[in-house]
Amino acid sequence: MSDEVNSAEAGEPADVDRSPSLYDRWNAVREREVTTAVITFLAVFLAPLALVVVPEMLGVPTQYIWYRSLVTLALIWGIFAVGYDLLLGFTGLLSFGHAIFWGTAAYAAGILSANVTGSPIAMILVGTTTAVLFAWVIGWISLRRGGIYFAILTLAFGQMIYYVFLSPLGWLTGGENGFNEVAVDPLLGFLPLGAEVAVVPDALVGTWMYVFVGLATVLAVVVANRILNSPYGVVLRAIRENEQRAEFVGLNVWRYKLMAFVISGAFAGVAGSLYVVQRSFVPIENTLNWTISGEVVIMTVLGGVGSLFGPLLGAGVYMYVANIVSGMPGIGDFWHMILGLVFVAVVVVLPDGIWGGLGWIRERVADALGGDDR
Amino acid sequence: MSVVGDLIVLLVNGLQTGAIYVLLAIGLSIILGTLKFVNFAHGALFVVGAYAGLLITQEISISNGKLAEWGYPTLGLEWGFFAALVIVPVFVFVVGLAMERFVARPFYDRPDTDQILVTFGLAIVVQEVIHALIGPRTYGYEVPTSAFGLLPMTGPIGVPLSDVTINVWRLWVIAITAALVIAVYAIVEYTDFGLVVKAGTRDPEMVRLLGIKITRPYLVMFGIGAALAGIAGVVGGPLQNINPEIGMTILVPAFLTVVIGGVGSIRGAVLGGTLIGMVQVTLISLGTLGVGGFQVNFTPWAQVGIYALAVVVLLTRPQGLLGSEEVSA
Repeated sequence: MSDEVNSAEAGEPADVDRSPSLYDRWNAVREREVTTAVITFLAVFLAPLALVVVPEMLGVPTQYIWYRSLVTLALIWGIFAVGYDLLLGFTGLLSFGHAIFWGTAAYAAGILSANVTGSPIAMILVGTTTAVLFAWVIGWISLRRGGIYFAILTLAFGQMIYYVFLSPLGWLTGGENGFNEVAVDPLLGFLPLGAEVAVVPDALVGTWMYVFVGLATVLAVVVANRILNSPYGVVLRAIRENEQRAEFVGLNVWRYKLMAFVISGAFAGVAGSLYVVQRSFVPIENTLNWTISGEVVIMTVLGGVGSLFGPLLGAGVYMYVANIVSGMPGIGDFWHMILGLVFVAVVVVLPDGIWGGLGWIRERVADALGGDDR
Repeated sequence: MSVVGDLIVLLVNGLQTGAIYVLLAIGLSIILGTLKFVNFAHGALFVVGAYAGLLITQEISISNGKLAEWGYPTLGLEWGFFAALVIVPVFVFVVGLAMERFVARPFYDRPDTDQILVTFGLAIVVQEVIHALIGPRTYGYEVPTSAFGLLPMTGPIGVPLSDVTINVWRLWVIAITAALVIAVYAIVEYTDFGLVVKAGTRDPEMVRLLGIKITRPYLVMFGIGAALAGIAGVVGGPLQNINPEIGMTILVPAFLTVVIGGVGSIRGAVLGGTLIGMVQVTLISLGTLGVGGFQVNFTPWAQVGIYALAVVVLLTRPQGLLGSEEVSA
């Protein structure tokens, strides 16, 4: 896809003789990988401007605006949700155990930083590797059964790992109190993550932490996009649509499902390690408790399963409601209930989530631009 | 304490722990087996039962949420616990009927994943409603003196048991569970209603063609499952702390019971629950033992053990110990 079209002008298909409408051109541009990368990059690095700086300048009361570290946290959860969607949205497997990969990666990264090296990149590598190993073993066992059994088994494994880390491994993990000896070194040895980025006006991106997490997010979206648009992604979608038929065509469905599980585990691992880099602490309730698995399910479904940007949107909405709406007078106490009701409503009436709901707006725009072939 | 005494206490504790799982698992299992509906909100019904029981049994105020503001911190009925044992299942039965009609029925024809998602969402909503109504505090059941206490065992035939004491409520839990299980088993196995439900499990299309309206048996089945979860909340309440979050915590072992026993099988649920209860209690009471020169403390492994048990069963007998292959779709 991206190799055929190299210059920015070559947007239109060669074999169409009518002059391409604006919509066709937009579609051609949109399908390029570079476009995805650029859009994500702009979205990620303009987010603090749009969510924090501008509202502050407009004088929105402080309790209604995002704060910077929350934007960082939303991106980390976004990576988690994007990886989760590869499994739920594109392969059709509902896992209730993804806290395992987020959590074990977090512990691996934290323990590494305390005992070996605090390099953020090493933490992410080791954390992700740990998550991949866990995903491989747990996927290998859980995928023996499909559908509801898969969901129950992953939930059970999640609880099992939680209890193992809580008590028998308490000497290593700090048990109930979490692992609090995390020591994060500066990035590449000379960029302290907490420091402001001096080169650009610091109102824009804030700290190196945001740059680091932001780049990881862009990379995660690009990688997810690449996987989905490869033949591999097509196979995954085929499995979601009709597993039996995919099997008859001669695909080794089980192996593809396992790989999808491992890949989404790897995304969860990256996100879990980043979470520890950001927080410098591994609290067990926010890493391995089953509620974390539930949260990523809610974010993904809320944002929109089966889309690339939906889960990022879902993570943003969730973080906003959980951290900012929860502090609002009157409705604050009911934030969890509101989210639960919205979640149920989305499952019942809007299976493609908020992102899918925005779809009709996109279609309107497409119509206006001459996309009548849809 | 003598070895025999230890074993008796272990057996009673294990059966009682398992009994709660059995009560929950039967509902999950028959709903999953007959209606092919997976209910992640089943734990929420347990919580509803537990809190309804609290309201009925407690004389003192239990609420620091909306209920207290409205002036209903407690109902505190005269007969307390025994009133709860009758009223709560009826109440939760009705809740179950509503759930079948408005949540489950529209989802029978939708994918498993959608069923799980919507009931998961519902579980959160129920949890948060209780949170708002009664507050986030953890409650303990007030124990009715008539049913609680310690029962000293004296050896009838010279067995040295005089030092063994058993919590009477645990025996009550086992007895109530046994009675309910036998009742449900009899309904499913020996009545026309049970026949229709079982036939519906095999071939719903054929049952419809025979002119039997299958929606009503399904509705009642769902209600029975819900009522059992509600009773589990009342009888299990005095043995643990009650807070809005326990629903999800107890759901996982209940599901494991179903997985171990086999979907749709009442006898499987009993076997699975008993196994899980025994494993959990045995590991807790083993304490620290020397194993091959090492001192191993088994107590922290109690929670892990039940999951390990489920994994072993699943790897060797994927359909569950007493499950048949055909209903384990």
